[in-house]
Amino acid sequence: MPKIAVTIDDKKLDVDAGKTILEICRENGIEILTMCHLKGLTDVGACRLCLVEIEGINKLLSACTTKIAANMVIKTQTEKIKRYQNITCELFYAERNHVCSVCVANGKCDLQKLGYKTEMDHIRYPYLFPQCNVDTSHAWYVLDHNRCIMCTRCVRVCAEVEGAHNWNVMNRGNKVRIISDFDTPWGESETCTSCGKCVHACPTGAIWPKAIVQGQLEKKPEMITELIEKRKMNL
Amino acid sequence: MNRQELQTIITAETAINIYNKYKHKLCVCCGAGCISSGAEDVLKKLEEEIKTRGLENEVEVIATGCMGPCNQGPLIKYLPDHTIYQKVDCSNIKAIVQSQLIEKKPIEDLLLFADSRPKPFIDAREDPYFKKQMKIALKDCGHINPEKIEDYLANDGYQAFDKVLFQMSPEDVIAEIKQSRLRGRGGAGYPTGLKWETVYKYVSKQKYVICNGDEGDPGAFMDRSVLEGNPHRVLEGMCIAAYAVGANKGYVYIRGEYPLAIKRIELAIKQAKKLGLLGTNILGTDFSFDVEVRIGAGAFVCGEETALIASIEGKRGTPKPRPPFPAESGLWGKPTLINNVETFASIVPVINNGGEWYSEIGTPKSAGTKIFALAGKINYSGLIEVPMGTTLREIVFDIGGGIQGGGEFKAAQTGGPSGGCIPAEHLDVKMDYESLISLGSIMGSGGLIVMDKSSDMVDVARYFMEFCMDESCGKCVPCRVGTKMMHDLLQKICNDKGTTIDLERLEELAVYVKECSLCGLGASAPNPLLSTLRHFRNEYENRITE
Repeated sequence: MPKIAVTIDDKKLDVDAGKTILEICRENGIEILTMCHLKGLTDVGACRLCLVEIEGINKLLSACTTKIAANMVIKTQTEKIKRYQNITCELFYAERNHVCSVCVANGKCDLQKLGYKTEMDHIRYPYLFPQCNVDTSHAWYVLDHNRCIMCTRCVRVCAEVEGAHNWNVMNRGNKVRIISDFDTPWGESETCTSCGKCVHACPTGAIWPKAIVQGQLEKKPEMITELIEKRKMNL
Repeated sequence: MNRQELQTIITAETAINIYNKYKHKLCVCCGAGCISSGAEDVLKKLEEEIKTRGLENEVEVIATGCMGPCNQGPLIKYLPDHTIYQKVDCSNIKAIVQSQLIEKKPIEDLLLFADSRPKPFIDAREDPYFKKQMKIALKDCGHINPEKIEDYLANDGYQAFDKVLFQMSPEDVIAEIKQSRLRGRGGAGYPTGLKWETVYKYVSKQKYVICNGDEGDPGAFMDRSVLEGNPHRVLEGMCIAAYAVGANKGYVYIRGEYPLAIKRIELAIKQAKKLGLLGTNILGTDFSFDVEVRIGAGAFVCGEETALIASIEGKRGTPKPRPPFPAESGLWGKPTLINNVETFASIVPVINNGGEWYSEIGTPKSAGTKIFALAGKINYSGLIEVPMGTTLREIVFDIGGGIQGGGEFKAAQTGGPSGGCIPAEHLDVKMDYESLISLGSIMGSGGLIVMDKSSDMVDVARYFMEFCMDESCGKCVPCRVGTKMMHDLLQKICNDKGTTIDLERLEELAVYVKECSLCGLGASAPNPLLSTLRHFRNEYENRITE
């Protein structure tokens, strides 16, 4: 792969061309916050946590969807970016009903980790407290819309890795919901293969196996990345 | 059909003869505004009356597209004199036919603006309403039959396409468009020539041209009127664009709420195919181009180009981060040119009269004319086309006839939910891309809502925020949650329960949503709020409790 010269956070680097800014940063130990990114799945740039400043471009671009180019001067840790990450984190918490203390993902949750990383000590916006259902119709798994942050990692893993296309998105604006098939209970889905990939792709306590109780949830999203990479090798 | 056969149709045999067959023409405006005030009944009654009097070989009754002064409708225009009758109902028909066609003198009381001007004009073109305007994109709108390709051909239709096919290379066409300094009329004002050149430069066997007719701004109806009034003009613009960028397939994306526009463009495509103006080996050349219509299901976000592309692909209409831009990777991953309806309608005159001619109209940075949909507390609301750089004062007072009931002008809202409000002290602002941006508003697609003293600016901001909140696709966090939070805060201030902290939060969120949103919908959603805060801050502060 040809090398190109870029500058990230005042560090001069020779990096592989053709990769995204996020890939390059992670390879070089530069931390970038993400929620909707899962290595191997198509990136959608939805959570807006990975926004970076690029010299000469007058808007912030998402690192996960922007390809690195020669001579780019990128800043990932400016005051502005940190301020915006804090707001995004608070909006996640205010949007639905995230109550960590009674959540199966407590201690293992990416959203919770995000709260710690952004040093969130309170939420300045009013909680919206939407009415959300919990779908327990599946024999092994639960979908709890209260904890969903609409990262759509479940949608993508189901379509791109399992090929089942069970998950999709319904409605728009703040009424969006993840749906199974054409909004049927998960247990009645005609497409779900019960493979459990969405359980591991979900970064919060929105999708989890029934057999566990509070705090016991173990998720292995890296397993999905590994699966995707092994398949590529076989090809 | 080859080129010669087409020329024969245009010049000698059919088109012009059919067009000039009648000595008199009575055009009944059948734009959506006039139809809603009863134009269809008027048309039926008029046709009956002409038949009863046995005038059908002398007088042609045409159902045309929009003539402009929509709130004065239904309108009937008499050609060749350009006399317009306003607020016609079925009971006036007999008198109009008798007086205009038999006695050859117009009925003064029914003339356009007869109820508001001391002396109405017999030739409507003399009226300041039309005199201040310059119709380029709307040139044939209002006097040709949009459902007859012959009418369009008789008015130099498809001459520009012919010229491009036989006398110009794609590079020549792009150079001409660049010279015209035409900018995208969809809102952002990106230079059209540059966009075409970018698509042209990408090498691909398959490229696409898309016409964006998903006009979703509240109060805007420019694109609808162009598509309803002269669909062939848009189609010809698309053909020229396809030739220039090397595309062989086009889509017209129209929102489902515009059934008449859909019907007319579909008919136009059928007629053009029949004459060999669309299809394979057009007019005997090796250029092939085909167009299909795609109907939107009523989502505002589908006017955003990447969401529109997703919608054509049959997917959920959500935007994608750019880059890559559609010029590089658009519809089904192929290089795609997307332009607005009005942009395509402006291509034909640029080719016919040359880029230099077009570039001299308007201001140096914003060339040409712009169509505005005038609405709100204004005397003559409707569709106007003015040279760029016309002042807001000229539009509101000279063309629009001032504020209803002699009221006082307070603000004009441009650019719909992505735009802002211009206060009275900036009435002399030139309407061009840069001047409007400097006031915190945008040109947008051309909606212009005039407000008087009765409008509450906080409520105006709340209204537009509610619109954006409902229309957000829900994909990215700033737009999905941010617009909801801003709306709730604005509602709180409207209910006189807001505090200074709420106002601070509102301002912080506005900047955050503007900078962090994925697409243009979110990035411009705070504009109405930010511009009212800038020009009418006291109205917010007056409603705040400590």
